[in-house]
Amino acid sequence: MSSKSLTLSGISKRFGNVTALDNFNLEVGVGELVALLGPSGCGKTTALRVVAGLEHQDKGTVLVADKNISDVPAHKRNMGMVFQAYSLFPNLTVEENVAFGLQMRKVNKTVRLKKAHELLDMVGLDSQSKRFTHQLSGGQQQRVALARALAFEPEILLLDEPLSALDAQVRVNLREEIRRLQLSLGTTTLFVTHDQEEAMSISDRVGVMNEGVLEQIDTPDALYNKPASAFVAGFVGTMNRIPAQIADGMVEIFGSKVVALKRGNESGHVLALIRPESISVVANSAAPNAKVLTRSFMGASSNIVCQTTDGTIIQSLMTSASTGDLHPGSSVQLHVLSSEVLVANA
Amino acid sequence: MAKMKFNFHPPLAITLLILGFFVFVPMISAFEYSIRTPIEGGYGWNNYLWAIREEEFLYYILRSMWLAGITVIITLFVLVPTLTWIHLSNSKVRGLIDGLSLLPLVIPVVAFAVGAQISFPDFVQNTVLELPFLYFVLALPYAYRALDIGLNAIPLKTITEAARSSGANWLRTITTVIIPVIRGSVMATIALTFALSLGEFTLTVLLHWDTFPTWVTFVAQENILGAIAISMMSLIIPFLILTIITLFVPERSTQGRK
Repeated sequence: MSSKSLTLSGISKRFGNVTALDNFNLEVGVGELVALLGPSGCGKTTALRVVAGLEHQDKGTVLVADKNISDVPAHKRNMGMVFQAYSLFPNLTVEENVAFGLQMRKVNKTVRLKKAHELLDMVGLDSQSKRFTHQLSGGQQQRVALARALAFEPEILLLDEPLSALDAQVRVNLREEIRRLQLSLGTTTLFVTHDQEEAMSISDRVGVMNEGVLEQIDTPDALYNKPASAFVAGFVGTMNRIPAQIADGMVEIFGSKVVALKRGNESGHVLALIRPESISVVANSAAPNAKVLTRSFMGASSNIVCQTTDGTIIQSLMTSASTGDLHPGSSVQLHVLSSEVLVANA
Repeated sequence: MAKMKFNFHPPLAITLLILGFFVFVPMISAFEYSIRTPIEGGYGWNNYLWAIREEEFLYYILRSMWLAGITVIITLFVLVPTLTWIHLSNSKVRGLIDGLSLLPLVIPVVAFAVGAQISFPDFVQNTVLELPFLYFVLALPYAYRALDIGLNAIPLKTITEAARSSGANWLRTITTVIIPVIRGSVMATIALTFALSLGEFTLTVLLHWDTFPTWVTFVAQENILGAIAISMMSLIIPFLILTIITLFVPERSTQGRK
């Protein structure tokens, strides 16, 4: 197996006055799939391009295994890359596209076409091998791009928002296919996306980035349940932001006191961050503190949107069975189900 | 080849009419004139046979063709990497270079020739190889635009990065990816540069070089019908060569048909 580990240490990169990466550190283990997630302009794509050698960092080092490749040009880095835009060579057939990397490595034609067919078979497109790329759909083109990036057995696979130009259904299918291939080939993979569902569903670990800095990197479960900052909490999953007052390390939410989890020096007036599934809505209560605005039925669960007496909009996610008597306009009582909540500065 | 159906379109008809009047009528008239046989009366190939028997005919047409060939090589060698760089760098110099590339259109060839004669060192002026470099400059506005259009029409940045991350260095990226993808533009550049170099007269004469066009005017002084016959052939021969080049470069599908 040719897969290697990847280490970025102290990477800084500026474009004019804009700091894209600020002392950025990241480690990706052998065979691991790590996603970089963040809003646009957070530096995630720059980080990927620095790894690929398509941008040169101002400071810091890139290591593959223990080899420093900081100054190695892109074409000698042995990294497969899939781009957001369709990047296939329009003058080549599907099989020639996939064999391109091997052709550049002077592998003879029979061997490289055999390898190309192996990869095309893996992505389910062997029957299309003689076609030109413009004859394929968007999803098929990205599959070919994936096959092309893997054909020369790269040390690292780099995915730069490869799914964002595709239809929703194709996107879900292809991301699962990427994960299946990645696991079966054991290729160390760095995956850049702005779509949290995409990142959370297929990655071993997800790194959340903001303004050129890695805010938190952890397993999807840990990111969701134990966010290290208010930014991560807000970016990953849905979060209610409820105004509250800290007193003695506790906040009062809907009349009950819960422990305030601080990530900084929050005090006084704060926002309590609570997941929709940690809020329950009870109808026919003696002491109503909110009104139901909408109820969206989503099968097993339902999404209830309420407005408290002070005007705050609250989302709650409950099993549909327990929301039968909630209708728009009904007076309800909200409860917090968790015993501790994350707080952020208001 | 797709089956084409011709319908009548007024704008197309007007274009063809103007083109016909100013291009085809003079050409056909010249051809008619060149096959006259004034002594015997009527028509015949005498003038063409005379031209081919002229021993200098082949010498000058070959000389002009290889000079044009070198001009094409210089043009591609200089312009493809330069334009690729300009497009990729997205730099502010692009507007400047766009403008500069038009300069040869506004500078009179006479001024250009005199300037070259005054300023170029002897070792440059003593070799006929100065001509391809000067032809390159004259063809620049056309060659530049032909390539510029081709590079604008493709996702250059993405496919360049895809090629590089697949292991292609810059040279191979240009030769195995960019040039084949903009093949149509490259062919247009070759045709324009070749034709312009082959027919260039003013600069060549002012710098005291003899090429096919200058030889034809020399011949015209003693045999005007023969000179026209030669000119007709000089139109047809490059046309045939370019047609052959176009036919023999393997056709690959590069255009997206949706």
